[in-house]
Amino acid sequence: MKKITINNVKRTLMHSFIIGSSLFFSKVMANNALVYPTRQQTQQISGVVSDANGLVSGVSVSIKSKTIGTLSNFNGQYSIMATANDTLVFSHMGYKTVVVPINGQTHINVKLLVDMTTLQEVKINTGYYSVKDSERTGSIAKITSKVIESQPVSNALATMQGRMAGVHITQTTGVPGGGFNVQIRGQNSIRTNGNNPLYVINGVPYASDPIGTGINSTVIPTQPSPLNSINPDQIESIEVLKDADATAIYGSRGANGVVLITTKKGVAGKTRFTSSISQGVGAVTSYLNLLKTPEYLAMRQEAFANDGISPIPYYAYDVNGTWDQDRYTNWQKELFGGTASITDIYAALSGGSAQTQFLLSANYNKQTTVFPGDFSYNKGNVYLNLNHQSKDKKFSTNVSVGYTVQNNNQPRTDFFREAISIPPNAPELYNEDGSLNWENNTFNNPLRNLEGKYLAKTNDMIANVVMSYQIASFLQLSSSFGYTTLSNNETTTIPSTEFNPAWGLDSQYSSLIASNANRKSWIIEPQLNFTKTLGKGVLNALVGATFQSQTSDQLVQYAFGFASNSLIYNLASASNVYTLVSDDSQYKYQAFFGRINFNWQKKYIINLTGRRDGSSRFGPGKQYANFGAIGVAWLFSKEKFLNNNSVLSFGKLRASYGITGNDQIGDYQYLDTYASSGLNYDGVIGLQPTRLFNSQFGWETNKKFELALEAGFLQDRIFLTTAWYNNRSSNQLTGLPLPGTTGFSSIQSNLDAVVQNRGVELTLRTVNIQNEKVNWSSDFNISWSHNKLLAFPELESSTYANRYIIGQPLNIQKGYHFTGVNPQTGIYTFKDVNDDGVISPLNDKTSIQNFNPQYFGGLQNQISYKNWQLDFLFQFVKQKNYNSSVYFGLPGSQFNQPVGVLNHWQQPDDDAPYQLYSDGSNGAVVDAFYKFLESDATISDASFIRLKNVSLSYNIPLKKAQCKLFFKGQNLATFTKYDGVDPEFQSPGYIPPLRILSAGVKFSF
Amino acid sequence: MMKKYNNNNSNQHNTKNKSKRLLFILFCLIIVLISFWSCDDFVEVDLPNSQLTSNGVFEEKSTADAAMINIYSKIREVGLLTGTSSGLSLVLGNYADELDFYGNSQNGAVAFYNNSLLASNPDVNGLWNASYNQIYEANAVIQGVENAVNLPSSSRTQLKGEALFVRALIHFYLVNLFNDIPYITTTNYQENSNVSRQSFNEVLSLIKSDLQEAIQLLPSEYISANRLRPNKFTAHALLARVNLYLGQWLEASNQASIVIDNTSLYVYEQDLDKIFLKESTATIWQLAPGFVGGNTLESNTFNFTIGPPPLSALTTSFMASFTPNDLRKTHWTRAITDGTTTWYHPFKYKFSDTASSVEHSIIFRLPEMHLIRAEARAYLGNLSGAKEDVNIIRNTAGLANTTAISGEQVLAAILIERQLEFFTEFGHRFFDLKRTDNIQSVLSLEKPGWDTHDVLFPIPEIEISLNSNLLPQNPGY
Repeated sequence: MKKITINNVKRTLMHSFIIGSSLFFSKVMANNALVYPTRQQTQQISGVVSDANGLVSGVSVSIKSKTIGTLSNFNGQYSIMATANDTLVFSHMGYKTVVVPINGQTHINVKLLVDMTTLQEVKINTGYYSVKDSERTGSIAKITSKVIESQPVSNALATMQGRMAGVHITQTTGVPGGGFNVQIRGQNSIRTNGNNPLYVINGVPYASDPIGTGINSTVIPTQPSPLNSINPDQIESIEVLKDADATAIYGSRGANGVVLITTKKGVAGKTRFTSSISQGVGAVTSYLNLLKTPEYLAMRQEAFANDGISPIPYYAYDVNGTWDQDRYTNWQKELFGGTASITDIYAALSGGSAQTQFLLSANYNKQTTVFPGDFSYNKGNVYLNLNHQSKDKKFSTNVSVGYTVQNNNQPRTDFFREAISIPPNAPELYNEDGSLNWENNTFNNPLRNLEGKYLAKTNDMIANVVMSYQIASFLQLSSSFGYTTLSNNETTTIPSTEFNPAWGLDSQYSSLIASNANRKSWIIEPQLNFTKTLGKGVLNALVGATFQSQTSDQLVQYAFGFASNSLIYNLASASNVYTLVSDDSQYKYQAFFGRINFNWQKKYIINLTGRRDGSSRFGPGKQYANFGAIGVAWLFSKEKFLNNNSVLSFGKLRASYGITGNDQIGDYQYLDTYASSGLNYDGVIGLQPTRLFNSQFGWETNKKFELALEAGFLQDRIFLTTAWYNNRSSNQLTGLPLPGTTGFSSIQSNLDAVVQNRGVELTLRTVNIQNEKVNWSSDFNISWSHNKLLAFPELESSTYANRYIIGQPLNIQKGYHFTGVNPQTGIYTFKDVNDDGVISPLNDKTSIQNFNPQYFGGLQNQISYKNWQLDFLFQFVKQKNYNSSVYFGLPGSQFNQPVGVLNHWQQPDDDAPYQLYSDGSNGAVVDAFYKFLESDATISDASFIRLKNVSLSYNIPLKKAQCKLFFKGQNLATFTKYDGVDPEFQSPGYIPPLRILSAGVKFSF
Repeated sequence: MMKKYNNNNSNQHNTKNKSKRLLFILFCLIIVLISFWSCDDFVEVDLPNSQLTSNGVFEEKSTADAAMINIYSKIREVGLLTGTSSGLSLVLGNYADELDFYGNSQNGAVAFYNNSLLASNPDVNGLWNASYNQIYEANAVIQGVENAVNLPSSSRTQLKGEALFVRALIHFYLVNLFNDIPYITTTNYQENSNVSRQSFNEVLSLIKSDLQEAIQLLPSEYISANRLRPNKFTAHALLARVNLYLGQWLEASNQASIVIDNTSLYVYEQDLDKIFLKESTATIWQLAPGFVGGNTLESNTFNFTIGPPPLSALTTSFMASFTPNDLRKTHWTRAITDGTTTWYHPFKYKFSDTASSVEHSIIFRLPEMHLIRAEARAYLGNLSGAKEDVNIIRNTAGLANTTAISGEQVLAAILIERQLEFFTEFGHRFFDLKRTDNIQSVLSLEKPGWDTHDVLFPIPEIEISLNSNLLPQNPGY
């Protein structure tokens, strides 16, 4: 235990700033009143405290042997009254203490060195309680604001990519405001949409269910990320809970891991203003190498010749002379080769007294797109955090309120697919008068997509109040109250100008889809904490309860027939307005949870957690289930035989086992009901069955086991964590796919299937160089994971018979095995597995491709030299993915092609990778082409190493204020053999994440 | 342990602790009370106000009606009989020799036009799924009204009759596209998820028995204006067609006569421009538009104003089948020219944008009954009767009586009239070629991509992978 001499008043400040840190104060000192030394003449000493990465706030600055102390403020500045002969002591959690004799100086700047051994003393937030890193029994990964701020991205999930072992994140689109796929330790559930982690923002669970209709947001391939509504600048830390010990207290919602987001809090002291402004540019990382006009036209002519079609038919406008045979346009550059502008402005005000502190921040973010046209994503955000503690420190409260407005204005469609398929000699986009050129109805002008617009406005608020009262020294009662509200307003317009004028349609055919959705939830979580020393041990216990209610409603209207296209947003101007959806739903959730932790001499730790959950998503009799876990840890480095070992400075073995659950199935699935279809027939709106129903489904369970070793060497300058886990989820809750003959595509039910996720995670943190001028540290993480379907009774007779294989991962694709081009016929061939002479899906789709990454990880480096600071992250993944062949149509038809097709079959005995060209009337060629798309030839190695992030900053040394210049880059370079736009990207046909370069300045005073 | 703790502290502390402990106990009690009091009730939620229980729906006439009517809306919007570009009118027009495809190659219609369907074709799968979804809803209505206690019996028979008719109708199109198919008569998903294919004849006899029951249940009069809901004679009309396809001539002729002879309801329309108007007395059943004042989806799919065509146009071989005086050529097709080339599109439905509704999509109309009877009579040897029926059609089109003399000639004349009368109406042409065994000889000449196996659509691959009882796949896929 550290003893720090410090005055009483400032004590609370310190406590509040260092979130979860564990400074302990000597009782005697703490109770002393403020004492001013009187014997000697005192003067004000001031200066700045910094570390290798920049300024450090919250550093305790005290005078040796006296009870005077202060803290460095938000910008690392401090001032203290001291005599010329005093000695200043600078100490801070995680740093080596620095002692500086004043010797008559009045300005003393101090550089702190990281004390690696104390990193283990940092408290880790586990949701309902916090625990010292060294004493935790669970598996938790964490990143802090420093890492988050070094990245030019607007979604917090992007900042986690490559930095956390076992956490695999892929961005699903390069369009701003889009989504992410997040998998923590693999795919647990057969339901593809049942693998989202639980997001908890300052203790308030944040629903990840999609909002909006999906009819509207066709430009975004997956649902927008729920974390779009929080600004990364505002985040203090993100913790990811992975194993049973950490997640079982979240019970039914912990199966896929828990992402805890803690926002920044105010710091006591002088009121500080901080601001940062940055401007960046974004562009796609690469283009595909496609045919130029002469090669393309030659292909088309050869295709028709192969098909025996002569002359070239009327409809082949590209090659029959209708279009200019010499024109060339690089459609990729034209349609998604633009430069996106990214602006980010942040301002914060913080300060407060010993008892009350505040932080008020505002942020504005704007991103334009790489598409033609004037589109942008705007996000504005205000955030307030307030802390108060009563004078006797028994009562404390924290209030945080964040309000975010997102305004996304995008074209209705992503241009990627069209850009790569339009013939290179296609005509001009615009006529001379500026109107869209349809080239006499022969050209399906891609810019028609600019006529229709997708607008999404999302407002949401997350508010949270935590109140706690220390009933007795061993007992604390606290409760958190959370409230979230979200409203989403989406419109899609389909004006008549989007259609080929040949249809002769006017604004009577323009239509609008407008969706309005609201979601509100409240949560109350009372909690009682008990702490007691028992001999050499400490017993911690907590009991608590959760009551949560969420209501949502949605109204989707379809309007058409406008007097003019300029009135298209006005429902009242439409001659017809239909309500497609008018719906509401309610979700209620209740739980009781508890934890017992016993810590014997900080050496042996046992942690028991449990939860009983009830959810309205299940039918009567199936609503409740129990979850729980046990975790143990042994700090063997504290044993006598290793005490003061010069090499091994820290050693811990930990293990955990427990059961968590999953209720991500949507509301009311157990009900047998009819709902309005929105379809009008003779003035009556129809009613349709909502679903096939099953009232008997119940909870899915996930059993997790983990064994881990943590070891620090040489004062923890080398710190290694290795974890092995084995998770099994069973009683799989799934939308059992059904053949169409049932009238539906699936039914909600439990499957007796068992899925295993097993893996090893390794993280290595090293301090390579550490001295007053240069600091270089590295973080390396790598995760191997293996997913396997262990059991599936009656798989053969189920509807999954052709989708899954026992012993194989869930994320597999069964396809034909491609065996090259037949040198005689020039047509693709495939392996006829059952030798029946026919290539048929049931018998011959036996080539199994696994899309799960074999391993992935990242290497992060932080280097500082004087006022310079350089951070960079390499991310790597070993995996397979669809290659670029899935983007293209039949070679020879009216689609542009990659240059690879030039090497195609032309005459007998040719040995070529591509089959002969055809415009589409050669049935055998077409058939082989579609089989090719369903074969293993479309799947290739997509392993890569990517320079994911670089951040370079320079601190301008100033006395009163601080000023930092920075440059940030994202997705800067990729090393891969992959043939396609982006090996990381998994939504073929959409714009992959952009390369972003951004520069800016951050200052505070 | 507690005791030990207290003993170690001063008395003053003790009293303080007592009051605190009291407070603590109070808090605990409150928490426990809240917990137990709310335990069972808290997670119970009410039915959302946008949903009704399935049983409730069929207890009231208006909601039971809404459940039935929804099937017609769906038939209009998706699946086989929709007038959109995914329905059979366009799909089979492209697939057979009625239409040329002009859209871009990313359009799903291109696979139909090239006769290069694969078992994995998403549009075929879409037609399959939409059809069985409509059948499910029909079965749900049948089941719902059977169990309903409070539903008036007139509604009960009416709705059951309509649902049986719809079930027969959808299965009829499916069996002609896919050949052997499962005939679904229940809503039980466990039964329906491992059904097997039933033979063509078995399916047709099930269709017939459903239609016969529907005829018993349905009223003779239309219960709505504009013939928007099928009546007894609509079921007769379909039964006539089923018998025609089966070659059961006498029965086909009798069923067609039942409709034709009901002259109080059905009057032959002589004016080609009025046949497709919503008031036409030759209409047996038509679908209401999706909005008040709306017209047909067909008009949006086929009509265009400037060439080249954006999606499809009638083939030159089809246009050449019209004899010069055929009024149907000038009244039911429209020429669009860009100065050098002329294209024709189907123009049966002329209106798209009108203040109040003028045309509805007609599913069954009287001329078909005449042509069914003509064909049946020809096979039964009643050539004069057959010619009488054909001539009604020909005369309306401004043509003289047929000059056919022999039975073969009469049958050929009937086939030509069917082609010219029913073009781009739900695949009549394709089905006629198929059932008369002319399909290979005609389409192998007209369509470069035609193969013998194209006579049937493939059973969707995903269906087979989900239910292997649907094996074997149709030949050639």
